[in-house]
Amino acid sequence: MYSNVVITGIGISTSIGRGIEQFTDALQKGVSGITRDDEDGLGIAGRIQSFDYEDRLAGLNLPDAILLRSRKAGRRAPRSAQVSIITALEAWMQAFSGKEGYPSEEIDVIVAGHNIGQQYQYRMAEKFKEHPEYIPANYALHFMDTDHVGILSETLGIQGEGFTVGGASASGNVGIFQAYRHIKYGLCKACVVVGAMADLSPVELQAFRQTGALGGKRFAAEPEKACRPFDADREGFIYGQGSACLILESAKSAQERGIDVWGEIAGGAVCLDGNRLSNPSVSGEARAMKKALEEAGSRPENVEYVNAHATSSVIGDEVEVQALKEIFGSHAANVWVNATKSLTGHCLYAAGVVEAVATLIQMKNGFLHPNLNLKKTIDDECRFAGLTSRAEICHLVLTNAFGFGGINTSIVIKKF
Amino acid sequence: MTKEKIFEVIKHNLLGILPDLDPASIEPLQSMRDLGANSIDRADVVIQSMEELNLKFPLHELGAVENIQGLIDFFHTKYLGNNP
Repeated sequence: MYSNVVITGIGISTSIGRGIEQFTDALQKGVSGITRDDEDGLGIAGRIQSFDYEDRLAGLNLPDAILLRSRKAGRRAPRSAQVSIITALEAWMQAFSGKEGYPSEEIDVIVAGHNIGQQYQYRMAEKFKEHPEYIPANYALHFMDTDHVGILSETLGIQGEGFTVGGASASGNVGIFQAYRHIKYGLCKACVVVGAMADLSPVELQAFRQTGALGGKRFAAEPEKACRPFDADREGFIYGQGSACLILESAKSAQERGIDVWGEIAGGAVCLDGNRLSNPSVSGEARAMKKALEEAGSRPENVEYVNAHATSSVIGDEVEVQALKEIFGSHAANVWVNATKSLTGHCLYAAGVVEAVATLIQMKNGFLHPNLNLKKTIDDECRFAGLTSRAEICHLVLTNAFGFGGINTSIVIKKF
Repeated sequence: MTKEKIFEVIKHNLLGILPDLDPASIEPLQSMRDLGANSIDRADVVIQSMEELNLKFPLHELGAVENIQGLIDFFHTKYLGNNP
């Protein structure tokens, strides 16, 4: 007998909200996190502003033992690892504070993302050119993505399975899908999945610019207008910084623990296009949504809302619209569609988890956040959310994420 | 560069890596290992202190150093070598 999989803790750090309360408010108000990017100098981005690790730890009301371990493991860690810790702690406190927990050996941790701390590596490379003698010994640990796994294991006291998963911009959904399987098949009691903040260096941003994938040229003077998924004037994706965390466990044990549930992960799918390039495919995206719904035992006509991948990419948004119409047919007119990236920018590896959190918040609070900047829609048949939030209670939702290399993913979330 | 100043630099970097350490408990005759610093922590205290003191040498030269006082003396000798 397989378990129903529910979410009992969520955490978030993005340009539009540090923590669930602030993020919820920003979703409701339709706040844009996109500003001129002084760090990059060339473009615009949705960066996490003025992040202070000690300050954020102090705001979490942590038990002394966790606070001490978090300070020791994270104080000198790269920014992306610090953001992972803060985000995971928020979810952890929600799921376990003041409640009965699980033995540490029965809790797993999955970090979604790869090539996570490239800004840190870039700084080290610059330092190395001048003073190789001053490269810290800790760099040998920090440059590996699995450092996030080790740090979370140490701070949260997790001793079950732990690993990173990669899937380009679909990494977050790949992580959620693996965590879902761990709970469904009873491999552990609880699984922490963290979408890691992609800390890109100027080199990666320049490479994205060279491919033509980055937007922000026409609206350079009005950054908050540059990220416009599904709008005719979109130009490409806008880099966003963000991390999010979900804690999954079985519905049965969550009920036994008497803990509030955010929602149910009812299914998911990961499928490949057989194409290493960046171009998306209608059939691959539709197949991911179809497989995810089959896994959930649900039908397309029961879906009420899709949190779209929708990066504001010229080709990507168009392909996703075609895939939505392929899977939903005439029901597309009834399915609400919005793009959290219109507020946060594209959080790359973390995007799937960020958008799962945004979806759970909307389902729990009975609203749909706006599609910022959607003035001229590229399609008349899909039902795009408007420029302001609206009250709407959704029971069955898809969240999409598609990555370079033909990695198509979709997750099914049910109201619990 | 006085030995007192070098001790202050080492102490500051040690506290940065081991934030739960009581500053008053750090004495020159102690070893960083006894204060709870693992091998990577110890290497990083040395490297950060080298950087602040503007010294450069291969870490293996520290082989015989047994405690914080030994490190202070080593840094001081290197400093005098650079600034005769």
